[in-house]
Amino acid sequence: MHDLVEFAVERALDLGAEYAEARFEEKQGTSIAMKNGVPEGLSLLSDRGIGIRVLVNGGMGFASTNVLTKESVAEAVERAVKLAKSASKLRKEPIKFSEEHFHQVKYEVKMKKDFRDVPPEEKLELLKKIEEEVMGTGIKVPMRYLAYSDHVWHKIFMNSEGAYVKSKIPRVSVMYNLVVFENGQMEQAPFIERAFSGGLELIEKDEPWERAKKEVETLRKLIVEGKRPPEGKVDLVISPEVAGIAVHESVGHPYELDRIMGREAAQAGESFVKPDMLGERIGSEVVTVIDDPTIPNSWGFYLYDDEGVKARPRYLIRNGIITEFLMNREYAYKLGLNSNAAARAINYNREPIVRMANTYLAPGDYSFEELIEDIKLGVYMVSFNEWNIDDRRYQQRYIGREAYLIENGEIKHPVKRPILEITTRGLWTSVDAVGKEVEFYPGTCGKGEPGQGVPVWMGGAHARLRDIPLRRP
Amino acid sequence: MFDVNELILKKAKELGFGDVVVLSYEMNRRQVRFANNEVTVAKHWHERKVELFVEWEKRIAGTSITDLSEENIEKTLKTLKANLEKMKPKEDYYGIAEGPFKYKDIPETFDKAIVELDDPSEYVERAINAALEEGAKRVAGVLYTDHNKLYLTTSNGVEAFDEGTGIEISVRAFIGDLESGHGTNSVRVLKKFDPESAGRKAGEIAKLARNPEQGPEGRFDVIFDPLAFANLLSYMGWAFSAFAVEAGFSYFANKLDQKVASDVVTIKDIGNLPNGYATRKFDDEGVPTRETTLIENGVLKTYLFNTSLAKKYKRETTANAGLIAPRAWNIVLEPGDHTKDELFQEVKKGIYITNVWYTRFQNYMTGDFSTIPRDGIFLVENGELKPIRNIRVSDNMLRILQNVVALTKDSYHIHWWEVSRPVTTPYVLVKEVGITRATK
Repeated sequence: MHDLVEFAVERALDLGAEYAEARFEEKQGTSIAMKNGVPEGLSLLSDRGIGIRVLVNGGMGFASTNVLTKESVAEAVERAVKLAKSASKLRKEPIKFSEEHFHQVKYEVKMKKDFRDVPPEEKLELLKKIEEEVMGTGIKVPMRYLAYSDHVWHKIFMNSEGAYVKSKIPRVSVMYNLVVFENGQMEQAPFIERAFSGGLELIEKDEPWERAKKEVETLRKLIVEGKRPPEGKVDLVISPEVAGIAVHESVGHPYELDRIMGREAAQAGESFVKPDMLGERIGSEVVTVIDDPTIPNSWGFYLYDDEGVKARPRYLIRNGIITEFLMNREYAYKLGLNSNAAARAINYNREPIVRMANTYLAPGDYSFEELIEDIKLGVYMVSFNEWNIDDRRYQQRYIGREAYLIENGEIKHPVKRPILEITTRGLWTSVDAVGKEVEFYPGTCGKGEPGQGVPVWMGGAHARLRDIPLRRP
Repeated sequence: MFDVNELILKKAKELGFGDVVVLSYEMNRRQVRFANNEVTVAKHWHERKVELFVEWEKRIAGTSITDLSEENIEKTLKTLKANLEKMKPKEDYYGIAEGPFKYKDIPETFDKAIVELDDPSEYVERAINAALEEGAKRVAGVLYTDHNKLYLTTSNGVEAFDEGTGIEISVRAFIGDLESGHGTNSVRVLKKFDPESAGRKAGEIAKLARNPEQGPEGRFDVIFDPLAFANLLSYMGWAFSAFAVEAGFSYFANKLDQKVASDVVTIKDIGNLPNGYATRKFDDEGVPTRETTLIENGVLKTYLFNTSLAKKYKRETTANAGLIAPRAWNIVLEPGDHTKDELFQEVKKGIYITNVWYTRFQNYMTGDFSTIPRDGIFLVENGELKPIRNIRVSDNMLRILQNVVALTKDSYHIHWWEVSRPVTTPYVLVKEVGITRATK
């Protein structure tokens, strides 16, 4: 496949491209689902193809094909060049890329338990174990949708500036949706996912069946013992899971430089952040937010991005100050900076665009007990269901699923659906203390058109927010 | 590609599979993306693939094949068989449709002029200019052209072919940071394509939305623009699937033949809608697509079924296979009897929402959700529009359906990034919609 990738780049240069890159991708894997105890069927994933991106006269063209012959690839290259030329006519200024140091590298994530060697019935057993643990609680859970998925993601990237990156990353995940009925009431935990880059051993070690069991017990407890949450100004402690969604939505997304510059305006939106806000305070001193693709076995793992740039941790907020945006080469060039390797594509048939990887609220120095000990009246939000944010990433809302009242420094009874509806600045300036331990939760981050759902981790440490206007349904 | 289909079917039968569905695609899709009044990227996709569904003693599996060599086809089928032999049966599997069927040509689904269109970027220019003429400063969006060929062969006697085209544009126009508007246009034949209308609407709304003030909260009568209501109906398309109902993702569960909406609400799924962006001649089992009334004058009449799920519920297939999960084709909310002016006059004090995004559920079974108005939002007071900003619709899907009080006569076919399932809807007036906002 190396030859075909190289051929694509050379052919594009021959046709007059000032820049060319080609990316071969192959995904092979298995998905299994189980609905209400019945296996739903098996799905084998087998997909491969080549995507070519070029710059001609400052216009950008992209074409892909899954017919892997020299003729078909040559045709795709010709189309990309033609499209770039045509695109250049409707541009005020030419697209240019930042200069980078490129490498010729190969890397691979090893599996201790290679899921390719495991027959589907053994994978189904993982779901059966969740099913058994959930049903074993004796709680009425009439709707149960469980899914297992794995694939090995193989890529070869090459560009006309000397980059050559070959990678092989296995990814494995388990997802469940559980509906608990009790006393004529219903609570739901939808789309809970556990996901890693690596082998089956990571799922086994993570024991999603224990988590699922705890989830339905919690939902039942919520129905039986849950009370109305307090309303008005209270203190709020958010868990790593809630901190994770909050940093993803209100820090990661608005710091994507393509969005800041308006490229995503018609789809994923723009940003309240502007280029001249680098160095500006957005949160309190204790708030540091990092996006790091290099965390071993993380769901958002990679070492080189899809423009061939070497990855590193990115400090988006350091001690409350905006310090770095997420960048690809096109937009790094606009600010006279280097890319920080945030360009990702979900498949060979998608262009690389600016994306997050593993975004988290960096730890502080508080134990959980210290975080809650002086709270007179507050709420501890452990998990969430509904969430959303406006397209400038400023007005957001998170609704607690598992949540508890905090009274005089102690965790009390569960509370139902506390609603945090707040601005980004309001949120991050209200944090006065951050916990010591970091945890991560997987997610699929949506952006781009056609949509590109990329695997990401979100997380962080516990955080305490003071004087938060909390709502209830 | 029927030769490939035949080969796969023959080899699958030799290996002892029962039901087999071979669905081949040949796709050519172009895209022009633009932002800040210039083209950011132009793309072309060429794809050939076979989607394969097989059954062996009530064990089912699916995959797609892109390497169509005989060797790879054999290897794939053997892998599927080996895997299925180790799987447990799906006890509630009841087979696929018995063919053959007769198919009718559906008007306005194919246009050679779209296939032969050399460079669609002139339409982008026209849309941008229309928005700028209305007063927009920055215009962003996307244009697509589509050309698809579909070849279906099943073990139950189906051999069917469909060829379709499409062209569509989505335009968002900005004046300042907070003033924006959006318009779309999605059609299957070139002569009906009107990119200017999308640009003009985006520009008009952006202009109207100048200097917005913080919006209120509480319960308000809300006029949903077709673009905004299409978003809610698009999500609703999935909730009608019998699969979603069983899996715990639908607020329509256990509500068949019950009143779920106000009398003025009739919702259909129309698979054979002329000029509909998702229109196809047949579903994934080969059943000819048709019109299915889902909600009639407020009463939930049926879910969306494939053959297997229909048999399980002792009903007829609605021609919406998906072999695992049935899905809607084109969701259509039947129009009402109001003109747009009459609808706005009905509202003494309310809100006009031109677009929403980021619809998320806190509970799929109850239908509690929120969604965020984006682009122009307006207070409506005695016919006057006053721009506002920063509000959220926080309500319940069933409540919204039950509170629909009036619909316009004119409908619009909407399909864009936030409305992935195409929807045809009029302007909709809903009473007492929950509106919230951030207070810190």
